[in-house]
Amino acid sequence: MNGASDLKARQETFLRAILDEGAPLPEGWTNRQAAGMAVYRGNYRSALVGALENTFERTALYVGESAFKQASAHHAITHPPAGWTIDEVGAGFDATCEQLFANNPEVADLAWLEWSMLQVAIGPDVEPLGPQEFAAATGEFGDNEWMALRLEFQARSCGRIVETNLTGLWNALEDAAATERPDPRLAEPRGCLVWREGERPTFQLTEPEAVTAFTAMQEGATYGEVIVALAGNEPSPEQVQDAAMRAGALLGDWLKEGMIISLKA
Amino acid sequence: MTQHHDPIQPFGGFGLGLREVHYDDFLAGPEEPGVPVDFVEVISENYMVEGGRQLRILEQVRERYPVILHGVSMSIGSAGGLDTDHLDKLKRLEQRIDPLWVSDHLCWTRTSAHNSHDLLPMPLTESALAAVCANIEQAQNLLGRAMLFENPSSYLTFPEDEMTEWDFMTEMTRRTGCYLLLDVNNIYVSARNHGFEAEDYLAGLPLERVRQIHLAGHDPATPERDIIIDTHDREVADGVWDLYAKAMAMLPQPVATMIERDEHIPPLAELITELDRARGIAKRALVPA
Repeated sequence: MNGASDLKARQETFLRAILDEGAPLPEGWTNRQAAGMAVYRGNYRSALVGALENTFERTALYVGESAFKQASAHHAITHPPAGWTIDEVGAGFDATCEQLFANNPEVADLAWLEWSMLQVAIGPDVEPLGPQEFAAATGEFGDNEWMALRLEFQARSCGRIVETNLTGLWNALEDAAATERPDPRLAEPRGCLVWREGERPTFQLTEPEAVTAFTAMQEGATYGEVIVALAGNEPSPEQVQDAAMRAGALLGDWLKEGMIISLKA
Repeated sequence: MTQHHDPIQPFGGFGLGLREVHYDDFLAGPEEPGVPVDFVEVISENYMVEGGRQLRILEQVRERYPVILHGVSMSIGSAGGLDTDHLDKLKRLEQRIDPLWVSDHLCWTRTSAHNSHDLLPMPLTESALAAVCANIEQAQNLLGRAMLFENPSSYLTFPEDEMTEWDFMTEMTRRTGCYLLLDVNNIYVSARNHGFEAEDYLAGLPLERVRQIHLAGHDPATPERDIIIDTHDREVADGVWDLYAKAMAMLPQPVATMIERDEHIPPLAELITELDRARGIAKRALVPA
């Protein structure tokens, strides 16, 4: 083994020993080195749990300190980070919560929202397309151009169908000392859209079809395809007309909220 | 290939780490006197983002104070080489901020599969030195400037070690042209943990390559744990102040001094008072006995 591959192997063994407390320590190590390794193991776990606590403040408050520490330790063990930014340890934490708090779907919804708000906060600073600019750009559009229209949304904006009164829960958890909490369950699933107003991340509960349409267009669907999807199977002319009206309303909302940054060719 | 970069000129200021709880202090209006520091240091990775409030605030702070970019994730000791995504984003930040200088740690943090997000110790061997120097050259060439590297605190040494940490750092600066960020608390912590004399460490370094000093607090050993831990969560300990005074007396050129606090961050006034203590020690060190 040459020097470089030897160093690589040693580093892999060292990191394995940090990640897995049951992993054997390198050959020839004494109690002194084992004591040092215990410090590195402690540092690793507390750094990841601390990063999760910082990112998911409201989720931690909602489930309580002990349950959150268990969930975050579980997540750190099952999702050891690979990227250079420690913030990435929060990726997939909503799925971990879905699994660990299966009877409380609001926990996963809340974790998803916190993660999404953080992500959109650090996205690129791009001026949104204003209603007047949009009107100028589409003023000469015929039916074909409208049907082929594609939109570019703010980077990192996102949506999800939720079962949770996220607005009520988010506001109630603003004050860590407040004990009053709303009923987290919604009577019907709703859509939740997350985007940025200037530098401020924000979200809104909306109709589920707003999220479905937003997600489809974010993934490249045309405006025409969204109308077709909203109209449903074998629609009547009236249903197509209604779908076009609803798509137009959604487009108006996205423009008003500053979620669209450009039209795509 | 080794490229030559402009030398980093000595700068004898006193500064603090920019932390979110102090943003308002650093961004106070022009009618306010401003924070009495000569520079601020930021954790580079916190600002290696595409946009948003954090980055805008850093740019506003940069308009008022010189900024040092101090990284924690370059993993300069990784046998598998550097993360080019990290380097590219650091380069972008460096171009945006125009810092006094860019620094990171003599350590490794990751393998190709996982990242510890901790400053892990290097084996002090010739092969580790070769890997570190190759990585430093890559980083410096990409950034187009010489960097500073900080001595880490460590909690274990390796049976295969072939040299002292100060010899390792001396050779590292000689081969790459990099400079040193001397963390006096880390020397104190490692000296206690590994049983060497902190003064030997100082005496063994190429002190003319030092451009900055870090001071911080640590968690002392306990009956249950015979290891001192670098925590950045409390005031600088008296023993570290003593070592700082010795270092300042030995350094042949002005260096920037900064106090690090990352946990239990007090109001800014308390840190300024602590920084004043550093100013006093530095001033006395410059007066011949």
